[in-house]
Amino acid sequence: MSTTRSRRGLAAIILLSVLIAAVLGALALSGCGSSSASAGEASPDAFASSGPVTVTDDSGATVTLAQPAQKVVSLAPADTEIAYAIGGGSKMVGGTSYDDYPAEARSLPKVGDFASPSVEKIVALQPDLVLAAGGIQAGLRSKLEKLGMQVFVVDPTTYDGVMADITRLGQLMGLEAPATKVVGDMTRAKATVQARVATLDRPATFIEVYSKPLMTAGGKTFIDDLVTLAGGSNIGTQAGDGFPNFSSEVLVKDNPAVYVAMAGAQSSPGAIAERPGYSGLAAVKDGKVFVLDDDLIARPGPRLAQGLEQLAAMIHPEASPAP
Amino acid sequence: MTSGARTSGRLGVALAVVIFAACLLASLALGPVSLSPLKLAHYLMAGPGGSAPGSIIFWQIRLPRVLLAFLVGAALSVAGVILQDLFLNPLTDPYVTGVSSGAALGATFGIVLHLAALPWMTILALIGGFATLAVVWIAARRRGKIDIYVLLLAGVTISYLVTAVIAVLMIRAGEDMDAIVYWLLGSFSGRSWPEVKVALFALPFMIVPLFFAKEMDILLQGEKRALELGVDVERAKRVLLVTAAVLTAVAVSVSGIIGFVGLVVPHIVRLLVGPSHMRLVPIALLGGAALMGIADLLSRTMLAPAEIPVGVVTTFVGAPLFVYLLRRGRA
Repeated sequence: MSTTRSRRGLAAIILLSVLIAAVLGALALSGCGSSSASAGEASPDAFASSGPVTVTDDSGATVTLAQPAQKVVSLAPADTEIAYAIGGGSKMVGGTSYDDYPAEARSLPKVGDFASPSVEKIVALQPDLVLAAGGIQAGLRSKLEKLGMQVFVVDPTTYDGVMADITRLGQLMGLEAPATKVVGDMTRAKATVQARVATLDRPATFIEVYSKPLMTAGGKTFIDDLVTLAGGSNIGTQAGDGFPNFSSEVLVKDNPAVYVAMAGAQSSPGAIAERPGYSGLAAVKDGKVFVLDDDLIARPGPRLAQGLEQLAAMIHPEASPAP
Repeated sequence: MTSGARTSGRLGVALAVVIFAACLLASLALGPVSLSPLKLAHYLMAGPGGSAPGSIIFWQIRLPRVLLAFLVGAALSVAGVILQDLFLNPLTDPYVTGVSSGAALGATFGIVLHLAALPWMTILALIGGFATLAVVWIAARRRGKIDIYVLLLAGVTISYLVTAVIAVLMIRAGEDMDAIVYWLLGSFSGRSWPEVKVALFALPFMIVPLFFAKEMDILLQGEKRALELGVDVERAKRVLLVTAAVLTAVAVSVSGIIGFVGLVVPHIVRLLVGPSHMRLVPIALLGGAALMGIADLLSRTMLAPAEIPVGVVTTFVGAPLFVYLLRRGRA
């Protein structure tokens, strides 16, 4: 008697949970099916040259196009920024939900988010070139290539690497001339900053990528390269390569003179000076705690030049023009 | 109880206190920046507010973090003892009864609603934990009695459901997804005195099971036998369940989800000192604290200045120890 009752109760609970899960699932799906109507509007570009193009991308793979790409899908906000900066906006047929720069990129048909773009939506847009990032998108390449698409991976670890990628993308999209101009601007920004900081000593600098847990930019990242170019010494490199967690005890011991927290969609650093243990940091005492828009130093695109200039002004205000 | 058992019980508690103290000292002295016991004593006597890097590290970073790890370890392990013995199921831990998932859901809402600061995280985690407990409780109530069997199954089911809701929230959260992922991984990194104050709230609840030690001992022989012996079974179940829920929700609210301690420490202690709760509860409390303290010590020193998630370390430390004791216990 009591077992039948409890069994019935259990069945009711399970049924209820399935129902709730179904409703939630429907809610989740309804949000992302609304943006696929305007595919295939790319107009042929005036710059388009003909003939096959072959480049080697950051993953070491060779990408060959019979003719410059006319329909491009970007899976990373940085790739989108590069494509627009070299005048390829009219060739863009798809992007991710994170694409927010330039403003026109917001209205691109979305193929999903950065971490899990929808392969079906990419295929439906029929691109002749897909721009991807490294890391979590590494597994995506073979999937897309099996479906007959060309994938160009942008995964640079230095400022120069970003410029090389811009040049290569210019070749793939038949936009060599504007790409050369963008790279020229970036080269000049780098040379200007380097000339300013060349003779100055290198203050210990800490870059906060994320606050809870505390994460920094280690070696083999273009953020580390930017700190070095801007005349600082990145203490995050001792924790290893990539983006490691960092011990707050070691932070207090190493006592950075400059503290730069990245802020934006991914991270909001809050009241940095009030965090436990931070009161003794030289950067806090000297008022050299800064917040930097993460889009300017975390996206390997043309705006890194601005990020570099701002970073240099934070590390060496004495050598930088007033903003 | 024979006098021999009583002596071994006292010896066990004394030994646990010694191990606990050694782990506490090691956790305070060792770290990416090591402090000698002499310096430790010096900083301790000088009090907070010193400006030397060592003093800042000790008072503002290490001491609160170590205290928090010990408190969370103790809370999870006492909750584990209660739930395993109440459910008469060796696989029960604070994370399969729905309470911790509910607490995690509450905290996830906190992150999504941008209330990811104390005391909101704790309040929301407590609300989430108690809400799931209430659902599970109502499901398991039959004529004023709690059916433990239904309670366990309903808890597991609700736990899955709540985890699915968290997954949906994560997908829809977009920008906050990282924050949720890091929080769910569990960590003591960056925690300080405000979190310790919240965790201290769990301390009185850790002592509650001691007042029910006799009832819990008898309940191990089954509810029928306990009723025959005149135990107010329903009252004991009510108080103990609520206690375990508070301990779990408080722990989850300050440190995220840290697995394994609440499952394995009660077993390890039971293998060492037997099932009597007058011994089991205090030794599990000290042992859980010590294991979590050592796990956090390893998490912040092994790859210093980088850190390893503490949940990974608790498993690496606890699993071999547990398997060894299981083998020895059978021999």
